[in-house]
Order: sequence, then C-alpha cells, then structure tokens
Amino acid sequence: MSSNSGTKTKARLTDPPKSVRIRVKRREMPDAPQYVETFEIPYRRNLNVISVLMDIRKNPVTADGTETTPPVWDMNCLEQVCGICTMVINGRVRQSCSALIDDILLEAGGNEVVLEPMTKFPNVRDLKVDRSPMFDHLKKVHAWVELDGYHELGPGPHTPQETQQERYAYSRCMTCGCCLEACPQYHDDNYIGPQAIAQVRLFNMHPTGKMNRDERLDAMMDDDGIANCGNSQNCVQVCPMNIPLTRAIYETNREVTLHGLFGWLRK
Amino acid sequence: MAGKLSTTFILRKLHQITGIVPLGIFFGVHMFTNAKAMNGPDVFNKAVEDIHHLPFLLLIEIFGIFLPLAYHSIYGIFITAEARNNVSKYSYGRNWLYFFQRVSGIFLFVFLLFHLLHFRWGLFSAFGLTDIAVAGNADRAFAIVASDFQNAGILIFYVLGVFTTAWHLGYGIYLFAVDWGLVIGEKAQRAALAVCAALAFGLFAAGANAAFSFVRPCGLMPEFLCEQQSESVPAIRSEEF
Repeated sequence: MSSNSGTKTKARLTDPPKSVRIRVKRREMPDAPQYVETFEIPYRRNLNVISVLMDIRKNPVTADGTETTPPVWDMNCLEQVCGICTMVINGRVRQSCSALIDDILLEAGGNEVVLEPMTKFPNVRDLKVDRSPMFDHLKKVHAWVELDGYHELGPGPHTPQETQQERYAYSRCMTCGCCLEACPQYHDDNYIGPQAIAQVRLFNMHPTGKMNRDERLDAMMDDDGIANCGNSQNCVQVCPMNIPLTRAIYETNREVTLHGLFGWLRK
Repeated sequence: MAGKLSTTFILRKLHQITGIVPLGIFFGVHMFTNAKAMNGPDVFNKAVEDIHHLPFLLLIEIFGIFLPLAYHSIYGIFITAEARNNVSKYSYGRNWLYFFQRVSGIFLFVFLLFHLLHFRWGLFSAFGLTDIAVAGNADRAFAIVASDFQNAGILIFYVLGVFTTAWHLGYGIYLFAVDWGLVIGEKAQRAALAVCAALAFGLFAAGANAAFSFVRPCGLMPEFLCEQQSESVPAIRSEEF
C-alpha cells in the first residue's frame, strides 16, 4: 500500500549492507515441526524477496555452511496481481514479489529479513500455504452470476457510474489472504472474512447477480458469517489492492439488517 | 427475503443490543443520579430513596440490569477469548481500539463484580471498607460512599472504572452503528466516532466529578455550580453506621 502512494519523494537505501541475512521459517511437511534457517546473500541492487529466494535456491547452504534443501514458496505473476506469493515478511503480511529488499531494510534497519508463511492457513511446506479455505468461502457466498444458458441475452442492464466504480474496486480482489492473516478475529476458519464479504457486495451490486442476494445474505448470517467482524479494520489497512473492505462489510451489514434481520417484518 | 439466522449471529446481535439499550441507558441514569452528590448528602440520599420507591423495581433490576449484564459480560468473555490480538504487529489506531474494547471488558468484569458485591449487597468489606450496602440504606447512602472514598485507592479505582465504562459504552455505540449498517463510509465513521467519544467523555466527566463529590463539595467543579457552597462534607464518623 505504501509502495504505490507515489506523491512523496521515495526514501532510498543510500548505504546498503554487503550482504543480507534471510531467516526463513521452514517446515518439511504438514504438521511437522517448524524451524528457522538463516541464509546469507550478497547484496545487489534491485533485490526483492523472490529474487533472494531464487538466489538461495541456486545455492541452498545456510549462513553457517550447512547444506540444506531449497526453501519452497509459491509464485506466479511477479507483479502483485495473482496473490499467490503472499507471506509474512518481517512480521507483516504482504506479497513477496513486490517486497523490495531496499525498502524492507530501510524500514527495519540492519540487514535482516524474516520470511514466514501465513499463519492462518494450513502450511503445506516452508513458505507455501493452502489458501483453499478462501475459495470455499467464495463458493459459500455464491460469488458468481448465474446464467440460464448460452443463448443470446442481449445487452446487460445499465448501471450508474458510481456503482461501476465501487464494483471495480471489489473486483480487484486477488484472494491473496492478507486481510484474513491480519484479522484478529479470523483463526481456524471460524469467520468467512473480509475477502468473501467484499465479493458478496460485488455480486449483490450486480443487476443480475442481485437475484441470488438472499442466498448470499443467508451465508452472511451463518455461524461463521459477518457478525464475527470485530471492526479492528486491519483488513483495509493491509489490503495490497486498496479494496474498501470496511465499506463492503458495513454496506453488507446494512443489507443483512434490512433484509435478513428485519425481512420477516415484511411477511 | 433471506431468513436463516444462526446462533452466533443472534448471540452477537443480542450482545450489541444488551450493551446499549438496557445497560447503556442504565449507565447514563446511574451517572446522572451519582451527579446529585454534587449538591450534598441530603440530595443524594433522597435520590437513592426515590430509586427505592420506583415501581416494578425488582423487575427493572432483574430484567433491565442483572440479566443483560450477566449475558453481556459472559458472552463478552467468549468474544474476548476468540480474539487473536496482533496490535504489536499491526499497530493501527482502530486495532488498538479493538484491543482496548476487549481489555476494558475484562477490567469491567472485575470492577463491576466488586462494585455490585460491595455497594449493592455489602458483601465485600476488605481493605477497611464498610460492610453496609448503599441499596436499602438510603438515609446513610452518602455517608457510606464518602467513608469508602476516603481511601484514595478505592476512589482512583472508581474513577478508572467510570472511565473504562464510559469508553467501553461510547465505542460500543460506534460499533453498534457500523455493525447494524447505520454508519458506512469513512467520513461517517469518523463523525460517528467523534460523537461517541464526546458522549463517553461527557459521561466520564459527570461520573468522575460525582465520585469526587463524596470527598469534596461539588467534586472538582467550582462551587458556584452547586447548590451548597459553604457547607463542608459532614464528618464521617464510624458511629453513623
């Protein structure tokens, strides 16, 4: 979020260290104990967390000279739009592809970078996690528009510019998991979370998607639904796509109150 | 029309309602009654006396205070236990408020338990406190509280308790407003938060001043604001009890 604010002059790392120490939290396999390995990589300009991990992979030897296996991590787009390389870097969740070593060192001081997998998702191995709970959430909230068939339907209904802009913001979600990782309410998949609620809002604002509104609101009122939100608002702070997640939650709260909680008064 | 309400959903909504409608209103009335201590022992004792003569007093106490309070505090502990606080890593203002709402809840659980046992039932008399309940002893109400508040520790504990309750309520009203979809946008959130903070500060100021009124006439306020100006606090003698 801070990386693309752009208006202020960006602070630069003027006196870079000779080498960067990378502490990686590792795990052999699911449920195996976690341990930390430290690697030392010679500093060069324009390093990011992914290129550092690639350097380690070329020569998987720890800082004290022990040969080890290369750490496992996920990556795909390398431009912060796919969300798969999300991990906890120096204690904060973000995408590793857009995490520049210069910026991290500038912020943290010293020459150490700590890489950990996200803690709220099942850890597959090393820095790789299983993000499927979020995709299950999307299924649960019916995060798509129904189609009757493949026949010609004609042009879609018009939507006001404002609606389009708000929906566009929600459509940027890449299901990376930052919001859930930073959410103090979310653990052990007890809460459907900001990511799914924003998609409820996205599809409830769609003229055709609206037809499945009640199904989505039912999911919102379930035991793991929207009532679990504790309003710490960490989600909107850490969202790398600047999605107005709290707006989505509060708009959906209103829908739930009107149609879910007090809907029976219209019967 | 959607319709499936889950247990968690109902319990959460009930938790928010009980915090505001019976308990919040009661706290406001309570602070207002306490503030009568500014005008001296007789006014305060009469206020306590008047409460004793309220119609349906027992029902109001049970259904308006004790049951909602028990529910709000016990379910509040469950909510607190669920939280995975991370203010050290994500130290944003709202996250601190989230954290403080839970910390204040736990503090209030202890404070209110003590407060009820001591002043409502007279069952807690350690630290040299009186063992007489204020409730049921309207003629001695002011003297009992004044005697206990001679202990600076207890007075500070009470001022802290009033502050925590006021903030917990003020921020709780804000949380109610966003959780029920009354307040949505960021601008509206800031405005709502400011209003709730002002309300919390007002209740705290009234309550804290009332607490000090038991050790000094008119509390911390200039005396011309109160009815009794020259009269000093009546001496607290143990034979009064």
